[in-house]
Amino acid sequence: MAVATPLMDKLEILAEGAKYDVSCASSGSFRRNRDGIGNAASCGICHSWTSDGRCVSLLKVLMTNSCIYDCAYCINRRSNDVRRVMLTPAEVAELTIGFYRRNYIEGLFLSTGVVRSPDYTMELLIAAVRTLRQEYRFNGYIHLKLVPGADPLLVREAGLIADRVSVNLELPTREGLALLAPDKSRDAVVAPMQQVNRLIAVNRGERRESRKVPRFVPAGQSTQLIVGATDESDRQIVTLSEQLYRRLDLKRVYYSAFIPVVADTRLPDRPTSPLRREHRLYQADWLLRYYGFSAHELLDDRMPNLESDLDPKTGWALRHLDLFPVEVNRVDYETLLRIPGIGVRSAQRIIWARRQGHLAIDELAKLGVVMKRARYFVTARGRYAGECALESSDLRSRLVTGPVPKKASQLELPLFQPLVGDEAAGLISGEL
Amino acid sequence: MGGSYCYDGSFAGLLTLLARLLPQHITPDTISIDPLPQQSLFTDVTVVAADELQAEALWDELEQCLTPSCLKLVTRVFLADRPERELLICRYLLLAWQVGKKIGGMLAHPDVEPLWKLSQQVGREAHRYLGFVRFQEVRGGFYYAAIAPDHRILPLIAHHFAARFRDQQWVIHDTRHGQGIIHDRLRREWLILPMTAHAAPNLTGTEELFQELWRRYFKTLAIAERKNLRLQQGKVPLKVRPWLVEFT
Repeated sequence: MAVATPLMDKLEILAEGAKYDVSCASSGSFRRNRDGIGNAASCGICHSWTSDGRCVSLLKVLMTNSCIYDCAYCINRRSNDVRRVMLTPAEVAELTIGFYRRNYIEGLFLSTGVVRSPDYTMELLIAAVRTLRQEYRFNGYIHLKLVPGADPLLVREAGLIADRVSVNLELPTREGLALLAPDKSRDAVVAPMQQVNRLIAVNRGERRESRKVPRFVPAGQSTQLIVGATDESDRQIVTLSEQLYRRLDLKRVYYSAFIPVVADTRLPDRPTSPLRREHRLYQADWLLRYYGFSAHELLDDRMPNLESDLDPKTGWALRHLDLFPVEVNRVDYETLLRIPGIGVRSAQRIIWARRQGHLAIDELAKLGVVMKRARYFVTARGRYAGECALESSDLRSRLVTGPVPKKASQLELPLFQPLVGDEAAGLISGEL
Repeated sequence: MGGSYCYDGSFAGLLTLLARLLPQHITPDTISIDPLPQQSLFTDVTVVAADELQAEALWDELEQCLTPSCLKLVTRVFLADRPERELLICRYLLLAWQVGKKIGGMLAHPDVEPLWKLSQQVGREAHRYLGFVRFQEVRGGFYYAAIAPDHRILPLIAHHFAARFRDQQWVIHDTRHGQGIIHDRLRREWLILPMTAHAAPNLTGTEELFQELWRRYFKTLAIAERKNLRLQQGKVPLKVRPWLVEFT
């Protein structure tokens, strides 16, 4: 059935303008359903995945795509020739509830272009969220974009009704921002982040005194960096992220591979967007947040960019071969986390499982360890299962290419008998 | 030892059977649900009738000697739609009977590993379906969702939806296993009942509008320059798509 309504057109235009915002998280908040509709699940739930493989968790939409700014990278820039529309707070609420009741979404991610003034725009966003929270008694997840330059009182108000707030830094360096977004200043972007950070800290203190104090931004704040629009190095980006996590206590920094959506002479002319680079940056980001790495360990003056053919942890391990191999039955959790092929879950399982007896090398795969990488960096009960020695010159190429593809190896197996998998190692070592 | 056993398919029935096997350390060859799928002439099948009291007694005992997370493994695996689930549970509990709480750490043990892997599968599917359920507003004032999960995940997702849509009359229908959750808004209760659908649901006008809105929105959201159908298919397997509005 082809229904064309004004609302449908508006939704399409405003989704088009919002889709380059990467944040999709619906996790980290916990909101009970108090006599209304919806709750926020602390684990986060994805509801669908679009044909680019990105998840749909929140109704990601703009309040309006009109904007007084003229940022070079942005599809909604003032000088871009697109149709401008605006949703009313009531329409935002109606759409959110309609989708939510059908379980299409986990909540709302409301962003906007800036109309009239930052304060006016911020008030519009707050009005929409207020309609949802008060009239519809909606307790689902709401991610609200803060408008740089908005009054601190409005920022405070936004934080009390949203689960997460964010301001996008967009460009990793001050110079980049000055070049591509001449109307925005870095300080106007960082100021609300600092304010939110202070208010979260104060709120935590108050809630320690009394649980009745309402939560302020329970899911924390996040930001987004565009990668590849200006010529900063990975080192600059990862170091910035580290600072954001440490100093401003951000929950997430998102990276968005630059896609030229509008033509501009200030923008680089790239045939493809740097998706691989974005992926490596996310891997490095995870190492910062969950694996105890710091930025200077991953990247330094000699190596300003992440390798594109190896993940950052394996790269780090190859530069620190003197630390390996390690005995999985002895080393502490922090060291386990630094072994390529072992993640947070498998490290926890190893700690848990080795209390009941020493682990053999073939048992590691059962615990979820990725042996195609880990085998070169560990021993179990003194056994080493790598296909080549750690000092070997082709270790790197083996890690880059990975094991021979399955189909080929099945054909070769009977001829060459290289039964060097985990099973083989297990057979040799037996149950000691 | 060994032998073939048969029970009524309920969890209490399985526990009653286990209450008989565990103390004697009997590892059965097969455990099946009656009526037997294939009658075999030469095997001696022991049929065990469910006994609530015995089942409860065994469960209490298991609660004493195992951690809650171990018991969660067992209940999840029971929801798996796999013929080997009973034997997995039986072997696991036989081991647990010997080693007690220690079993929590024996993740790589051949009697434990297949169980927790299967339990993980069930748990993951249940989590995915928190997102994949699609309610349709049906004339008569209630919301209906049809799903076809691999495992019997309804008991794992009912609570989530009951808390979230407590002001809504809704039904989630597992068409593969012929059961459904019915949520009653007024009494704030849900029940899992056997269920079959005889006709397509009669949708309201707003429902069709919202479905169309959602389809259009979903299509717009994809970024053409990042197209990655393989990734999408890994996340949304083809088997779940017939029930998702945005893929129909």
